[in-house]
Amino acid sequence: MTHRNFAFAGDKIGTVVAVLFLLVWSVGPIYWSLATSFTSPTDLVSAQPHFWPTHMTLEHYAKLFGSTSMSQGNTVASVWPQFSRAIINSVITSVAATLVTVAIAAFAAYAFARMKFPGRNVLFFVVVGTLAIPAYTVMIPLYRLMIALHLVDTYVGVTLIYVSAFLPLALWLMRSVYQSMPLSLEEAAWMDGAGRIYTLVRIVMPLAAPGLIAAAIITFLNAWGQFLVPLVFSPTLTTKPLTVLIPEFVSRNYVDYGLINAAGIIAIIPPVLVVLFLNRFLVSGLMAGATK
Amino acid sequence: MASALTREKTRRFGGEASLGIAFVIPMVVIMGGLVLLPLLSTMIDSVYNVSPMRAGTPFVGFKNYIDLFNNTTVNQSWRNTFYYVVLAVVLETAGGLATALLLNKVQIGRRWLLAAVVLPWCLPPVVNAVVWMWIYNPSYGLLTGVLHSTGLLTGPTLFFNNRYVMLFLVTLVHVWRMMPLTAVILLAALQSIPKDLYQAARLDGASSFKCFRLITLPLISGGLAIALSQSTVFAFNLFDEAWILNRASLDTRTVIIQVYLDAFQNLKFSLGMALSLLAMLASLLVSLFYVLKVYRETRFD
Repeated sequence: MTHRNFAFAGDKIGTVVAVLFLLVWSVGPIYWSLATSFTSPTDLVSAQPHFWPTHMTLEHYAKLFGSTSMSQGNTVASVWPQFSRAIINSVITSVAATLVTVAIAAFAAYAFARMKFPGRNVLFFVVVGTLAIPAYTVMIPLYRLMIALHLVDTYVGVTLIYVSAFLPLALWLMRSVYQSMPLSLEEAAWMDGAGRIYTLVRIVMPLAAPGLIAAAIITFLNAWGQFLVPLVFSPTLTTKPLTVLIPEFVSRNYVDYGLINAAGIIAIIPPVLVVLFLNRFLVSGLMAGATK
Repeated sequence: MASALTREKTRRFGGEASLGIAFVIPMVVIMGGLVLLPLLSTMIDSVYNVSPMRAGTPFVGFKNYIDLFNNTTVNQSWRNTFYYVVLAVVLETAGGLATALLLNKVQIGRRWLLAAVVLPWCLPPVVNAVVWMWIYNPSYGLLTGVLHSTGLLTGPTLFFNNRYVMLFLVTLVHVWRMMPLTAVILLAALQSIPKDLYQAARLDGASSFKCFRLITLPLISGGLAIALSQSTVFAFNLFDEAWILNRASLDTRTVIIQVYLDAFQNLKFSLGMALSLLAMLASLLVSLFYVLKVYRETRFD
């Protein structure tokens, strides 16, 4: 019996250690970045790493948000005009891409799940098949197309590219959501004389809301984190997002680690909020997308 | 009465095809115009010489492809990419499976543990790379600090001088971001296994390891195939982490970075298109290999 108890306790301790390791691995780097963003520049370059900021400072955030700022003892132009512009650009392109993607996927997926029309299966296979095609494969002709349409460095152009990249996954996810819903609800509505569009919008979609939210979250996070697409298609501050601006703070000979960590912390606020409050939808969406 | 019924029927079901088509048209326009036609154009233009720097687009046959095979820089970027793919897929699968098994076991606070696990996947890869760049900083970074304080390393740190160390450090950032996806996919597969299978096996005296090998592994093989193919495709397309940590350095340059440099810095569009097609084919072939292999080895007969 004691032997068994020992084995049980050992198992328990092993689990706790594994959980702690997993937590440090997953959240540790974020904590370290947060701590860095509040650490004074002199402490950042000390020989011993500071696991928590001993002299709390908002100096790095002041550089981002202030009208003028100090760098190595000199007053320099503030980055706020660029930084605020990039925040706005990130929000506009990500939100627009999310809304358009989810709207298109919500209707198209329903057609694939519940309606019969010629070419349905081929079309679905082709669109979902593009999931296996990396967006980067088509970037060069896309660039020429966008130039011809005068859509380089416009919100419309960037949004359209995001939609084309993230639509297949949203479609796949929404179709599996619709397929898992009982058909009897829709049939009851049709019996009562409701039209198909009315049934879809007023009865099916509200019930599919968790799936719609999951598709929206995944699309938003993908768009928010995009780097290579805006690196090519958003060359100026007209549409340049945070992901392209932040690496520009890394200059060739001097890296202001306090500043880039502070900027990084600002950029991860939306994803962190999603994880804190909507993780249930996110995880169920990732699971549904993966398991059919 | 009868005709009214037929008309009603036509309105509801005969119109179904046109309504269905109306629902998918926006998707067809966007996917056709922005993915399929560009893909076609990539294939066609890869046998021409298209460049914004020159007039005309002469047909060159497979010259672009031959140039790519003979280019030592391109070959170096292929070697780097294969290194990333092998290392990332192995680490993500092993770590993801361990994480999924742990998550499946933990009862208390699983929701919060899951949130912590998923977090890295949700963050912009660029920010991840910047955060890790600071951790890797040779003079003041956390890694150096930890290595120094545990006595594993004395004297100055020279991580970035060794190509293999550098490739490993870039891979680690990528794995940090992508492992959660593997873990979640495998967790979904684990949760779909009926619990009574394990009870029956235990009654028959099977050990934990035997249970894992004979019940868990075969039953999560579908999820495993999906996890393996997605980690392969993402590792083949590695760009952000390598670019932020080491820019265009040949030591860590991936095929996609090479495509970007060819197309958007050297303005050799056709060369870039040929290379991006090859990269796509390579990642598709490897993914297909997993799917077939996992399918063949684990299906029930």
